[in-house]
This record gives sequence, structure tokens and C-alpha cells, in this order.
Amino acid sequence: AAVPSQVVPGADPCARQLCFAWGPAEVLVCETLFGRRGGSPSRGTGGPGRASPPGALTGCVAGSGEAGPSTSRLFVVRKDQDIYIQTLRKLFNESHGIFIGLQRSEEELAGKSRKAQLVQVSKNYRSVIRACMEDMHQAAMSARDPALHSQYSTQVSILSAMELIWNLCEILFVEAAGAGPLLLRLLDWVRLHVCDVDNMVREVLSSENPSKHELFWNVVDVFVLQGRMDEARHLLAKEASANPTSVNMYKILDDLMKKMPVPSLGNTQTLTEMELKWQHWHEECQRYLQDGTFASNSHMESICKILLGDEDAILEKKELMTTWYHFLVTQLLYSHPTVKPMELRMDLFLGGESSPEPLDMILMAAFEFEMHQVIKECSIALSNWWFVAHLTDLLDHCKLLQSHNLYFGSNMREFLLLEYASGLFSHHSLWQLGVDYFDHCPEYGRVYLELHIERIPLNTEQKALKVLRICEQRQMHEQVRSICKIMAMKALRNNRLGSALSWSIRAKDAAFATLISDRFLKDYCERGCFSDLDLIDNLGPSMLLSDRLTFLGKYREFHRLYGEKRFSEAAKLLLMLMTAHIAPCSFWMTLLTDALPLLEQKEVVFSAEQTYELMRCLEDLTAGRSDKKKFQDDDIETVKVEMLRLALARNLARVIVKEGTLEGS
Amino acid sequence: QVSVINTVDTSHEDMIHDAQMDYYGTRLATCSSDRSVKIFDVRNGGQILIADLRGHEGPVWQVAWAHPMYGNILASCSYDRKVIIWKEENGTWEKTYEYTGHDSSVNSVCWAPHDYGLILACGSSDGAISLLSYTGDGQWEVKKITNAHTIGCNAVSWAPAVVPGSLIEQPSGQKPNYIKRFASGGCDNLVKIWKEEEGQWKEEQKLEAHSDWVRDVAWAPSIGLPTSTIASCSQDGRVFIWTCDDASGNSWSPKLLHKFNDVVWHVSWSITANILAVSGGDNKVTLWKESVDGLWACISDVNKGQGGVSAVTEGQQNEQ
Repeated sequence: AAVPSQVVPGADPCARQLCFAWGPAEVLVCETLFGRRGGSPSRGTGGPGRASPPGALTGCVAGSGEAGPSTSRLFVVRKDQDIYIQTLRKLFNESHGIFIGLQRSEEELAGKSRKAQLVQVSKNYRSVIRACMEDMHQAAMSARDPALHSQYSTQVSILSAMELIWNLCEILFVEAAGAGPLLLRLLDWVRLHVCDVDNMVREVLSSENPSKHELFWNVVDVFVLQGRMDEARHLLAKEASANPTSVNMYKILDDLMKKMPVPSLGNTQTLTEMELKWQHWHEECQRYLQDGTFASNSHMESICKILLGDEDAILEKKELMTTWYHFLVTQLLYSHPTVKPMELRMDLFLGGESSPEPLDMILMAAFEFEMHQVIKECSIALSNWWFVAHLTDLLDHCKLLQSHNLYFGSNMREFLLLEYASGLFSHHSLWQLGVDYFDHCPEYGRVYLELHIERIPLNTEQKALKVLRICEQRQMHEQVRSICKIMAMKALRNNRLGSALSWSIRAKDAAFATLISDRFLKDYCERGCFSDLDLIDNLGPSMLLSDRLTFLGKYREFHRLYGEKRFSEAAKLLLMLMTAHIAPCSFWMTLLTDALPLLEQKEVVFSAEQTYELMRCLEDLTAGRSDKKKFQDDDIETVKVEMLRLALARNLARVIVKEGTLEGS
Repeated sequence: QVSVINTVDTSHEDMIHDAQMDYYGTRLATCSSDRSVKIFDVRNGGQILIADLRGHEGPVWQVAWAHPMYGNILASCSYDRKVIIWKEENGTWEKTYEYTGHDSSVNSVCWAPHDYGLILACGSSDGAISLLSYTGDGQWEVKKITNAHTIGCNAVSWAPAVVPGSLIEQPSGQKPNYIKRFASGGCDNLVKIWKEEEGQWKEEQKLEAHSDWVRDVAWAPSIGLPTSTIASCSQDGRVFIWTCDDASGNSWSPKLLHKFNDVVWHVSWSITANILAVSGGDNKVTLWKESVDGLWACISDVNKGQGGVSAVTEGQQNEQ
């Protein structure tokens, strides 16, 4: 039915606003128009005091006369897609193992052994990244759908960048070797990651006559730029043998290259010794260059200039280095041994052409030893928290992060781990990994776990038990109780009374246990038998959780005793249930009716005293009845009461005789 | 980056005013000017209509899911002055209770922390706030705070339950002594905090900072710190973050999050209270996070793109 309407003045019918709601993992965004609800201050109508009858939506809401109000669309939106990519699963699972191992590793190891341990952890993380990259690459190759192929390829690039960055951080921060060994590591790093020239190198080396190849000198240059002296000299030898005229020049250059002081890992010389050697060698190169030794061969001359660390000469070979960080490391190689990476100009290579890419920003920050900057840039550039969380944790273990207290009292490491782990909780199985991460966040890990674990859907009993175990292990009592109550309610709704009862016992929920016990008793009254006998028979001390539950347990015990023909015990129990007020009044009639067969046994079961008690119970029960009922002869209840009175009287008679006779003899 | 994983066609015949996920994100409830409340199953990117609930006689403003330990229960409130509580029984959703004690539109409903039992707070344009408590056997007890806000109450939000001595396991059947509190926002430009004392609800605090009607209040979940935090938004375009440092709840101080150019209608906290979502009249939703130095920064805004929700612009995250 059309509602009388009035459009809110000023509201544009075409404009839609967005309503927002948080879900546990996703969020809801819905098109709406806020101005249409409630009253508005400027207008004053629709407020309280005006008892407007429903339907007369005066002055507040635009009705269905508008164009397209029915297309109020609702979107379920989700962040953090990475955890849903199947091929990255290995990354999350395996890095979890490495993370836990690191947290538990011995901190007693000091100095070198600790460092070696940490470097190994770093290498482990990197090998997981590389393994993932392989898988992703395979997936990309076998993907037929171009969009999927594109997605996988992008992932490969991202993983590759992550490995590049991590590797550099490992060299600069985790291993943090002295100048010499550091340089060697950086050279390895460049050789491994700058691969654009590899094809060219292969082509030249595998040709019949390498020295005649047009790209020959390019390859020699590559070797020199990457500090691969032996390989460079080997190629030069080929050229020398092909060109006898340049033999002298070659010999000198070869000698210079051979004599270049390079740090070796087993080096025992001090930095001062190294510096002296280098100075000496540098001067020798300088002399040959200035003498014009290489003047007739521009290639060899440029190599000599490179050896001397001539910035322009190195820059000339830009295309062979392809990246600014290659350039940086080459410069480092041919600079004075004490020069550090951050003292070199990184922007020379890039010139003024383009602004640096995010990857460049990150690497630059690393070379400048600005760890916090690296973390910040990575957080911005990467779409998930995995990388920064694990890297930062490792750096923290290296004792490299200043405990820079963040505003809310936690620190950077914990902040990132909390973000990462929170993200895991939106995944149906990865959430289990998240638990361990929260465990290792001393400040807020526990409360974050409490808040997140409550939102895990308890679809199956198995899952509920899994979640429960996690909560119990951590003494999260509130959550344990909550989960048990939820499961009890679910079971009750599905009429699984036994399951509901055991869950409420586990939850120590007396009220619920009473409710379910009542249902059991009701069922019994209707069907004449109990369900879930096993459970009720084995309640044990948990029977005491609620009075009704105790009654249920005892009542069942009564039936068992009767079934085993242990009549006098059964009788005693039955009576006790009433006299101790364990049985609810509403059940007394049933209990007394249950007494009938006992009263009519051949052997007398109830003693005189017990019979008097029963009679009293019966009178208590009937006394409460309204007078009206007493006059209805046809009432079944009245008949029952009469039968009981008769049976009790008869029993009393028999028992008096029996007891009297015994006394007599 | 965000992605739309599901576009739900609710088939509501008029504007939707509220949509809420249940506790586990498996179901979604919507309510509309078409007077109906709908419930959908949205597992695995699907959308199956589970219930189309009729009972209101006017636009329905809000819906709220109760804690799953009480079963599948949903509350709705409407311009028709009614609050209806719906329950799923034997696989079907039915009205389980209807409250008609307000004289005007009921604007907001909010369930109390499950630790207190099943209690619903309702705020109405008649200026009163009602508290409906389930006492068992289908019975509900009502407590009313009349004249909570002059002209009208627009929003109610409960404080998280803080269990005193939570490290010690409570003996069964014994209820810990909770101090129940909730916040309300009204047309008197005030945010008020209410506390239950000896079974009566008393006004504990009056928070003044807004210069126009308060449209929404949201009490942040607790992460164990002694501080309490409340967000409020208003017709005056401002969003304030109120914090109280001491446990007794005496001194609240506001911090202006931002002044928007238009009315701000809704504020809501993420589960771990580290992000605040703000829905404004300027047609977008902005997400705010507290940075390491205590300043609030906008981390992204959710906009409407051509024909759908566009990708979020990833703003700077102020970490140090």
C-alpha cells in the first residue's frame, strides 16, 4: 500500500549514501539515504510528542514515489585477499613453523653462534619464499585463463621483490658483517638478482669464437662490474691470443686485475693492512692509465677506469647494470675499503627521469641502514602484513629495533604481528596459525585472541572441540563457558538433548541444565522412557550442578534400581526424592504413581514409617488443590489419588501386621 | 585493497536503513522502509533468503543480533514505535516478543554484553530509553528511563563487560557483580552514560561537546586497558573520541577526530577496536586508525565507483 509521503527538502533523490557494518572478517556496505530516517533538527517534525499514527510518515521519509529506491544494493566487502590464494598457503604454513622455532630458540647462545642461528632462520624464510615463487611460476605456466596467468605472474614478481628485499636485509642487518665480507655478500646478491644480462653472457660464452662476438666486450665489462675477476681474465686471455698486438697491454691489465685486493672470508688481515694494499694498488692503476698504456684500446682503458672507481666510466655501462643497486655495489667494490654504502650517491643512476618506485624506496632505506624506514615503506607497498611481521620479528630477535614504545604501549614487532595474525582469523583454517602468533605477543596477544576466537563459526562438533581445547590450554575460562553455552543451545534447538546436557554441564550452566533436565522429564512423561540413558547414568558429581539435574539423575537411578528388582532401595530413594524436596512439586504425582507397583508387591517394601511419609506427601499434594476439583468424580487425578490412598492403606495394614509379628516372635 | 565478494540483491522494495552481520559472518539481516526485516545466509559467497519478517507498520530503522548462546535472536526497531524480537525456532523465524511501550519512533536497539543475560536497550524519539530483560519462559521485564534525552534519543551503545577478578574461576551458579553501563546520544546534543545501581538506572555522566543532535554513539570493545573509549557523531559534522582513564569512570575527555562538511550518521568499531568506521553525509565511509603517537588518521575511504563499490585508496599508515 502506498504510503503518503513528503520528500525531505534538500535531499537529492539521486544521491546515495553508504551504510557500513563490521562483520568478523568481511564488512557490509549498503546504499542508503540517511536523511530519510528519524526527525531533523531544522524541521522539528517527526520528533517525540507527536503521536503520529503509523503509516502517516509526515515530513520524514520519501516514499516509493522515487525513481529506483528498490535498487538499494548491499555489498559484502573483504580485505586481505592474499590469505585466500591457494598457492601462497605454503608460505603461511611453513613460515609459521620457522616463526615458532625462532621464538623458542635458545637465547643463551651468545655472539657468533647466536648470529649464525639467526642468519640460518633468515635463510629459511627466504627458501620458503623461493619455494612459493616456484609453485606460483608453475601455476602461471599451466594457467590457461589469461587473467589467472596474469595474476600468478604478478604474484611471482611480488615474491621475487620480497626475496630481494629480505636478502638485502639479511646481509646488511642480520649478518651485518664487516666491510670486507659485507662487500662479498653484496656482490653475491647482485649476481643472483640481476639476471637481465645472463642470456647475453651465455650466448657469448657458448659461441665458437667468443672474442670475435660483437658482444664480447659487453660480457667482459659485466664480469668486471660484478667483480668476477677470474672469469673476466679468462675471456681477456682469449682476446689476447687472437690479437697479438695487444699482448703487452693485456698482460698489464691482467696483472692489475689479478692483484686487486679483494676481501676474502678467511681474511685475517686488519682493515689498515687492507687499506694500505688497496692504496698501493690504486696508485699503480692510476699510473698506467696516466701513462697512456691503454690509450689505443678504448675497451681496456675503460676497464682500467672502472678499476679506479671512476664514476663516469661505471655509469657509462648503465645498460649492463640495469639497476641502480647494481651500480651502487659496483661503486662500493671499486671504492676505498672504508666507504660505506650510504656514503654513495644512489640517485646518480636514476637521473631525473622518473620518481623512484616503492621497491627502490625500500632498498635505498636499507642501504642507508634506516631499518624503521624499511619497515614503514614495506608496510605501505605490500598488500599483506606477512612480510613486515616476520622480518620485523627477526630484526627484533637480532636486538636491532629500539624499543620505541608506540602510543598504546606495545612495540612495532607486536603491532605488526597482531595485524598479521588478525588477518589470519578471517580464514577458515589458517586461523589456527594465528593462535600461535597471538601467543607470542606479550601485551595484547591474549585479549586479541579472546576477541577473535569467539568469532570462529562452530560449524561442527569437531571444530568446537578444537576451539575449546585452545581456550582451555590458555585458561580462557570465559570463552570456554561461552562456547559450551553456544553448543548447548545449538544442540537443544536440534533436539539433541543428550548433547545439550553434556555441553551445559561443561559450561557449568546451571540454568540451562535445569531447562534441559525438564525437557528430559517431560519426554519421559510423554513417552514413558528416557533417552540418552548412558549420559544420565554416568553424571557423577556433575549431577549437583542444578537441583533439577540432580533429580533427573536420581530419578533415573530409581528406575534402574526397580529394574534390578532392588525394591527396598528403590523405595527408599523414591521417598527421599520427595521428603528432601529434590523432586519438584509438579512431579510428585508421577512419583507417587511410580510407588504404586512397589506398594502392590507380594513382599512388603515400604515400612510403616515410610508409608506414613508417603501418606503425608499425598495429603500435602492434594491439600493444595482447589475445592472445585474435589467435587469432580470423573477426574483422572481424583481416581489416581483414590487408588493411592487405597494402596497406601492396604500397605499400612500389611506392614503393621508384618512388623507386629516380627516383634512378637 | 578490498574486493567485493558478494553483491546481495535483497529485493527490498524501498530504502535499506541497516544491515548487520551475525556473530560469525554467516548470516546477514537487513531492514527497510518497506517495513520488512530480511535474513540471508551468506556463507561461501552465496545469498539465500532465510526469512522475510513482517510485523512492523513503518520503516524499520535498525536490527541487532543477540549473542549466539541465546539462540538465533534478532531485534528490530521501527518508526511504528515498536521493538520486535524475532527468534528462530525449529528452523523458522517468528516474532517472540513485541514491545510497544514507546510513544514515538524507536531509533536504536543494542544488545547488552552476553555476560549480563539477554538484555536489549532501546532508544526512542519520545526521549525515553527502555531496557528489556529476558527473565525466562518467554517473559520479558521492562525498565524505562523516561526523559533520558529531551526531544529524543537517537542511539544506544553498551560498554563491554569487565569481569571483576576474571582470573579466578567463578563457582558455578554464582553471577559475578558486573557494573552495567551504556552510552546514549540524543537530540539534546548530549552523550550520556548510564549506570545500573541497585536495580535502577542512573545518569552517571553527561558528555557535552556537540553543537547539534547526536546521531550515533559507539562504545569501543575492550582490549584490557583501564581506559574506556566512546565515539560519537553528530548533525554538527563532528566526530569525537571520548576517553576515560580511570576505572571509576569519572573524567571523560573528548578529542576531535574530524569535522566533516556534512552530517555524520554512524560510527562503529572493528572487533579489536583499532579501526573506527565513520559514515557521513558526504556520501562515503571513512576508516580511522589511531597512530603510534595518539593521533587519528584516516586510513582509507570507501567510495561508490561507477556501478559499484570502487577499490579503496590505500592511504598512508602512520606507523613509526
